[in-house]
Amino acid sequence: MNASPSHRPHPAEWTETQSLLPSAERDLPAGRHQFHKEQMMARIHEDLRTSSRTSATSAVAPVKRPNPFLRRAILLPAAAFALAGVVVGGLALTGGETDGGKTALATGPALTTTIGVADAKGAPQLLERISLAAADTSAPAPRKGQYIYIASKVADSYIKTVGDKSEAVSDELHSRQVWNSLDGRDGWLIEAGATSDKGITLKSDTPFSGAYDALAELPTDPDALLQRIYRASDAVRDPEVPRDQAAFVAIGDLLTESYPPAEVGAALYKAAAKIPGVVAVDDAVDATGRHGVAIARESDGERTEWIFDKKTLQFLGERVVVVKATAGDPLKVGTVTHTSAITERAVVDAAQQVPGQAS
Amino acid sequence: MRTRVRNGDPAAFAELFDECARAVYNHAFRLTADWSLAEDVMSTTFMEAWRRRASVDAEGGSLRPWLLGIATNVARSHHRSNRRYRNAASAAAAAHAAEERVEDHAEETAGRLDDRRRIAATLAALSLLKRPEREVLTLCLWEGMEYTDAARALGIPVGTVRSRLSRARARLRKLTDAQLLEEKREPTRTNRQITGDRGYAVRSAQEGNR
Repeated sequence: MNASPSHRPHPAEWTETQSLLPSAERDLPAGRHQFHKEQMMARIHEDLRTSSRTSATSAVAPVKRPNPFLRRAILLPAAAFALAGVVVGGLALTGGETDGGKTALATGPALTTTIGVADAKGAPQLLERISLAAADTSAPAPRKGQYIYIASKVADSYIKTVGDKSEAVSDELHSRQVWNSLDGRDGWLIEAGATSDKGITLKSDTPFSGAYDALAELPTDPDALLQRIYRASDAVRDPEVPRDQAAFVAIGDLLTESYPPAEVGAALYKAAAKIPGVVAVDDAVDATGRHGVAIARESDGERTEWIFDKKTLQFLGERVVVVKATAGDPLKVGTVTHTSAITERAVVDAAQQVPGQAS
Repeated sequence: MRTRVRNGDPAAFAELFDECARAVYNHAFRLTADWSLAEDVMSTTFMEAWRRRASVDAEGGSLRPWLLGIATNVARSHHRSNRRYRNAASAAAAAHAAEERVEDHAEETAGRLDDRRRIAATLAALSLLKRPEREVLTLCLWEGMEYTDAARALGIPVGTVRSRLSRARARLRKLTDAQLLEEKREPTRTNRQITGDRGYAVRSAQEGNR
């Protein structure tokens, strides 16, 4: 320690402070240390993956998607787990991830698209129709012990830095298969580039917020539901993400890789219609090339689009498109930063079982 | 460690978090008088530290003063007025008192009661200070930082640290006097002369004066 340059005594020596020392401190509430650490690590890995900003980062090998199940952390580190109000704690996110055992994934030039025309006035009406379609109860309800199976085709764009050269690239479109138990505590994931061909377990002490049981207990009154979504997402939201955007993305997360009961699905769309800034988009194309209409919301120059079949209004997929050039963002307008197309949603009897397979 | 942080090594940030999260959390509590806000400030501080990693000097000791400096700035953006600080401090005091009542005293260790009272005393003392004085005192007293380190952490001249501390000391002296007065049961003279501004209504309610 340096000698204090002052002639005065240090505050610790004042008579006025003697009753205040030694200091009394508290630990963070149970689990919160790990929670915040994981959030920080998610941000760090994400920045390293997408950023070409500083020479400091280029000295480090870009870390590609450290945890495949936390993809949504790209858009919104916190709200990805919004409804449960908890993070997927059991999944290792903390540093030191290896690429061992992952299948290789080629990259190519960044995916681009034409940007559909947004219409704010049309959004409530379109969502009303989508909600009606979602209220169809002909899909079978899962039984205890079964798993929800979601197959999709996905790709992400990011800035790849090699040495001191950076360019926008996209993964090749690849398949992703997720199984989740109804209580959200068990699951399995197979995704090229993220796991081996065999896949990895999604077993966790902290249930997945989009699990069937969690969705089934949500309120079906749109106002109550929206309020709950705001409350949950506020509790964990990344402060840089605007409140309404966080809520919109949180709803999207519950609709994408999930199997909501019909009345809950319908209510989620009605709740989304009440979020300021939500627009209808006349044309959007999903990862497999299917065209449709979209419900979208723009934040920070990027538009998150939920794509629906024009006629049946079934959910086709989701994508994020750069719609405005922002300072410091090297991705060009029209770049698709994330795209996914749901190809199958089903109830199966066990993890790793695909529909149609005998149990 | 500094070089690894500068270079954006994720493992270095993981270590830094494990080492300093608790200190940042408690520092943020002293600056905000609110445990849940302190948690927000703590988490934002590490995100901010990551963003500003390039500003770390390669040479130097522990990164803790740097983090505490960032935390101070983050906390400042949350709590603008002294009045809000005092509101939060009295709310925290009430919450702590409630914890004390609820818990089973047979199992309560003397140490924990002591801690709680010391935290209450800390908030009472900090409530008397203006924000800049509170920031400097918190770093020097509870974090044990030298004047020069506090100056660097806050980005202010050492002379300013000194003058803020001496004002803080003067205010604390009045608190000590006031506590003595209170013990002599002369409650009418408590707050007015201590705070020096108009936001004392909250404290007087807490103490049950009219």
